Parts: sequence; structure tokens; C-alpha cells
Amino acid sequence: MPAPAEQEVDLNQTYDAVIVGSGAAGGMAAHVLTSHGMKVLLLEAGKKLDIEKELKSMEWPYDHPRRGGLPPDSHALSRNEYTFRKPPYAKGLPNKHVYSYVEGWTGADYSKNIVVEEKDNPYTGSNYAWVRARCLGGKTNIWGRLALRLSDYDFKAASRDGYGEDWPISYADIAPYYDKVDLYLGIAGHKENLPYLPDSLFQRSTRLNSAEVKLRESLAGMGRVLTPYRAGVTTDGLKHNKYRSRCFGRGACDRHTGGCDIHAAFDSPTGLIYPAMDTGNLTLRTNSTVHEVLVDQNTGKARGVAFVDSRTGKSYEAKAKVVILGASTLESARLMLLSKSRMHPNGIGNSSGHVGHNFCEHVMGPSVTGLVKELVGKPRTLDDGRPAGFYVPRFRNLAERQSNFIRGYGFEGDSGTHMFPGHADSTPGFGAAYKKKVRDYAGAFISMGAFGEVLPRYENYMDIDPNVKDRWGIPVLRFHYHFSDNEKKMAADMADSAREMFETAGIEIVGVDREILTEGWSIHELGTARMGSDPKTSVLNQFQQSHDVPNLLVVDGSSHVSASCQNPTWTIMALCWRSCDHLADQVRKGEV
Amino acid sequence: MSSDIERRELFKIAAATAYAAKFGVAQEPQRFFTPQEFLVVHELTEIIIPTDDHSPGARAAGVAAYIDARFAESLDTEKKELWRKGVELVSQASHQMHGKAFLDSSPAEREAVVGRMAQNEDEPKSPAEKFFVELKRATVHAYYTSSIGIHQEMEYKGNVMLNQFVGTELP
Repeated sequence: MPAPAEQEVDLNQTYDAVIVGSGAAGGMAAHVLTSHGMKVLLLEAGKKLDIEKELKSMEWPYDHPRRGGLPPDSHALSRNEYTFRKPPYAKGLPNKHVYSYVEGWTGADYSKNIVVEEKDNPYTGSNYAWVRARCLGGKTNIWGRLALRLSDYDFKAASRDGYGEDWPISYADIAPYYDKVDLYLGIAGHKENLPYLPDSLFQRSTRLNSAEVKLRESLAGMGRVLTPYRAGVTTDGLKHNKYRSRCFGRGACDRHTGGCDIHAAFDSPTGLIYPAMDTGNLTLRTNSTVHEVLVDQNTGKARGVAFVDSRTGKSYEAKAKVVILGASTLESARLMLLSKSRMHPNGIGNSSGHVGHNFCEHVMGPSVTGLVKELVGKPRTLDDGRPAGFYVPRFRNLAERQSNFIRGYGFEGDSGTHMFPGHADSTPGFGAAYKKKVRDYAGAFISMGAFGEVLPRYENYMDIDPNVKDRWGIPVLRFHYHFSDNEKKMAADMADSAREMFETAGIEIVGVDREILTEGWSIHELGTARMGSDPKTSVLNQFQQSHDVPNLLVVDGSSHVSASCQNPTWTIMALCWRSCDHLADQVRKGEV
Repeated sequence: MSSDIERRELFKIAAATAYAAKFGVAQEPQRFFTPQEFLVVHELTEIIIPTDDHSPGARAAGVAAYIDARFAESLDTEKKELWRKGVELVSQASHQMHGKAFLDSSPAEREAVVGRMAQNEDEPKSPAEKFFVELKRATVHAYYTSSIGIHQEMEYKGNVMLNQFVGTELP
């Protein structure tokens, strides 16, 4: 189903709301507000792509001139470059195009127009592997699709272990909105009845292969869980959405950085924005890079936004009764810090001084790979016709503290046959024996890598670099962000526990990686404009409304009080839905 | 002396042409490797992933032609130099070990040359050992992303439409 026709943009009109950003947060805000009958203008900095033509999910590697690889004038930053060089990473590189590390994965040529050109979008400060997507839908076009709920183990973590702040909401507040997101967008998974990882309203689950069942059964004996990957993918279809197909287990998900050209995997354009356009209430303007939230000098309230056309460089203003930021955790904070005025000298909504601070994410790196010996030489199976493999939820510090660090981590894992036999590179030797070994071992490997909670700390922050500007003349972000002792201790435990779990299951260890990846690797940045009940120590209230400026909402991951160890996308959307419902109610009552 | 060298060069080219005819080298023109270098790379890739009773090898999968095409457009002068030198090192090793050119050697002799380069695959030290790691990585990538590699060798079953996921349904 083609994208709906776009309404004409009228910048003389005062819209009911202007939304900045079209990813999970901005798209959800557009869906909810237009469903309440509000007239909404959605601004996206990037372009609108003919996404099916970009993704070509089922193209075979050999039908692409470079087997899915980037053209020779393009360069994807490597793990080493992030470690041994300092940002801006693209500076001084001879390549015509420079992309973040995700474009070093397979199939990069299919996603190169989705991610940003690093040369145009520099940042400075401490090492940080920042992955950004500027196009309609943002990172939802290529996200990993693990769709998890948070629980009161996360929302009330501070009360449990004494570190940091509780969220101003509890699970009961957000649960009905998780349900709404599940039903509107579709999620595949298997019920496990875990208090610390609540179930969603699942559609048909993907299935585990024999190696994964073996590990699941062994983990059960340790009081731990392995569950099929909870994917933000509709496996049974969605009758209310004509733009998305159900999943056909095609196996194209094997391509990373990938996307889903039948949109069984959630992406913001087909899941949220196109249906919102069909209400007649949504106007979309792409190539619109917002650089300031405009303020009414009499009331101090937001009156709209200023933006440049990303192609022409021309400046414009858009007027709205409410301004909603969903530009991503770091870009929304950047925008607030850039929006200085007489009434908001530290940036809009920043009387607390907390904008840009308490920046957190997930720490990654430790992983384990194992060999399931009884699978060697077995006939070929089909293991990758599914969005991903499995998830091992957090098991540390739940009932009681049981480690030398606080909080926890979970593992994402996968096993079985893939289109490309990744072990071919690490299998020694050559010749007929080598070839046979690669063939025989192809379906016998299982691996998993951890995602751990990075504690929010005031000292971890970003601010505006006074000297460096992006291609559009907008000052860029400067990072002051490092992992602390808690993350390092946690990472050591990740590697140890990964080994222990495989060994207990009788899986032969092939390798254990103990090294922590560069800050930012998880692409789960959170917390730069946190919610809270105290305006002195938080930026937003529980409805993601600025304490200082009631008609300014920040609906992306920047509002999260802590990172938990669960992937954030589903929580971003559930919170945004709740906040936008509340906003629409306030608008109806004339309170905003 | 110069005429002697010339004669040898002419012989090499003639041999290369004959070899090309014998082994059915792809007809497309080489762009990065010289004809002589191409034949060496062609043979090296086949030694790494040979035809066996299960499926055709790197030669049939056009691995050398794919590698050649990538280097023809590559801007990575360092890596290109590594490959040119690497092919030369293969030739030198062959002369050293067997007193003849690589392509004039028997299959067992050629394998012995590759075997020596592959000795320290985990921690390559000499230029020849480093070249082997590059050569193998490129061969592996090109072969297992080729139609022969994916379908005939690995019998990959995915990238098809399924009505139901494969695997175990949990209770």
C-alpha cells in the first residue's frame, strides 16, 4: 500500500501541536493527538525515502554488485576508530561519505540513506558511538525490534537499592498504555509470568530451535529464563493497518543493519504516521531541521519552532499551541539547550539545570559463543526465518542484592544457521577439510551478548560545543560521558555468568568476550530530560510536560529516569501515548 | 639477458592464456590484477575452497573475478599494495620451495606453498602469512555470498515466505 498523499504545509496557520521528529516518539505523538482530532504539524529533519526500494529485504547478496556492501568511496567507522580517535570522528577522513559503525555490518548499502552522514553531523567531547537516523521514521526503520516492558523493579529501583530517583509513575500507571501499544502495533512473544519482565498482549510467538530449547531447559534449573525474542513484529497481522503485512518468516531479518520491506516489523511511518495522515489531521514536512523552540516573551510559553530546510538552507517558523519534542534523547536535549531566551537563559525547560544530565544507556560488549556438539553434521535447518532468536531476562539483584554491583542485565541471543556462515572466518585451515568443517558446523553455534543498565549520574552529561557547528550552522553536542565502576563490575559478571550458563547447559565454550564496547554502542541513549515530581531535580512531570513551560512536552527517551536493562522503544511509545492522552484531555478542558 | 627475460615473460603470458582456456576462467576482463596475477589468485581461492563431491568451489563461484572487481574500484591503496605484494610472495615461495613458478607446479606443490603461508593464521607475522589471512577472508566472503556458496554448498533454506515459523512451539 503506497504512502498516503500529503497535505499542504501552511506556515501561516497555528497548529494545535507541532511535533519535532518522526521516530517512535514523534510518530506515536502524531498518532495519538490526531486520533483526538487535533491538527498537527510533524517536522522531520531528514528526507522521506521510498523505503521499499531502499531496503530490498529479499535481495540475494549475489544480486547486488558489492554483495550488499557500501560503495568504495564510503567508510563505516570501526570499533578501533571510536576508541583510539576522538570525535568528531569523520574529521580529516578522505572518504566521500562516513557513517557510524552500524554501516559496517552486512547489507549496509540498503541502509546508507537512513543513517546520517557523519561529516554533516559532527559532535565533540568524550568517545561516544552515536548512531543517528535522519529520515521519516528515524531509527525505527532499522531498529533491533526487541520490545520489552519495564516493571516496578525498574520504576521503583531507587527505593529498592537506594540509588538515584524513582520514576514518578508506577507499572500500574503505564500498563494500560503498554496494552494499547501491543494491540495497535503488534508484538510477538511467549508468556512467562515474570514480575520483573511483564508479559505483553502477544501475537503468535517465533519458535526456538533445539539449541535454544536445550539452554532454556538448563536455565530453568538455575531459576533463570530463556524466552523467544519478544519482537515488535506483527506475526498475526493487524486488521486496522493497511500499510503493514504480517511476518512471513522470510529470513531477511538476518541482514544487519536491516529493515523490513513488508513492515511486519514496526516502523513509525507505516505503523503510526501514515494512519495518522489518513485521519486528515496530520501535516508532514520532511527536510525540516528544527533548531529552536520559540517562546512568547510575555507568557514564557512555547509558541512554535524555528527550522531550516535541510536542502535549501532557508529559515522558517512554524506556529503551534503546543510544542512536542521527539527528536531523540540527545537531539531533544540539544534543542532545549539551544533554545535560550530572556525567560529561559539556560535553555527552555532548564531551570533545574538538569537538561543534558543524568544521561544513561546500556553497557554492552561481554558475550559468549558456544558449540552444541550434537548438532555438528546434522542436516541443514532453517533457523533465521524469524525476527531474532531469544532473550534471557535479568536475574541479578531481583529478590535481594547478590552481586558487587547494583541493577542488572539481560542477554540477547541467537543460534543456528544463517545465510552467511559467520564461523567460516574463524575456522582455521583451508581446502576440502576446511570446507567440510564450515558446512558441518554451520547450524551448531549459539551465542548471546548482554545489555546492562548504566546508572544515571549527574556527572554524565552533554552540552553545546561553543565552537563546532553542523552543516546547517547549528551548534553541536559535546559529550562528557564515561562508564563508572558499577558498569565495569557488571560487565565482568556478564562474561562470567554467560560462561557459567553455557557450561551448565553442556554447551562447549568457543569464546568469551569480556571487553566493554565504546559508550553509545547500544543505541539506547536515555535520560537527558528526566521526569520527576520535584522541578528542582527534574525537567518534566509524569506526563512528560516541562515543569517550566506547560505547553512543551518531551516524549522520547530523554524523559526516562533510569535506563533499566530492557530495550526502551516500547516504553517510549507507551509513555508517549499516556502523555498525549493527558495532553488532549487538558486541551479539551482549556488547561494548556 | 634482456631477451631471455622477454622470452620468459612471453612464455608466462602464453601459459596464462593456455591455463585460462584449460580452467575456464571467466571471460570478463581483469581490471586490477594483471592476467598473470589473476590466474594465481584464481588458483589460490580454489585451493582455499575447492570443488568437492558436495559442491563446486571458489573457481566456479567466480571468487577471483569478484575480488578483482572490488579492488578495481577500491580507494584503499594500502590493501591493494598488500595484495600485489602477496601474489609476488606466493611466486617467490614457490620458486624457493620447488624451483618453479606457482602455476607450473603440481597441485600438491601449490598446496604446500599455501600451507606454509597458512602456518600462523591466528597470529600472522610474516608478510606472506598476513597475506594469507587477507586472501582467506576475501575468499570466504566472496564464496559464501555467491549463489553456489549459499545454495549448493550451504543449502541455505531461508529468504523464502513461510506460513509458520520453524522450530519448537513452547507449551
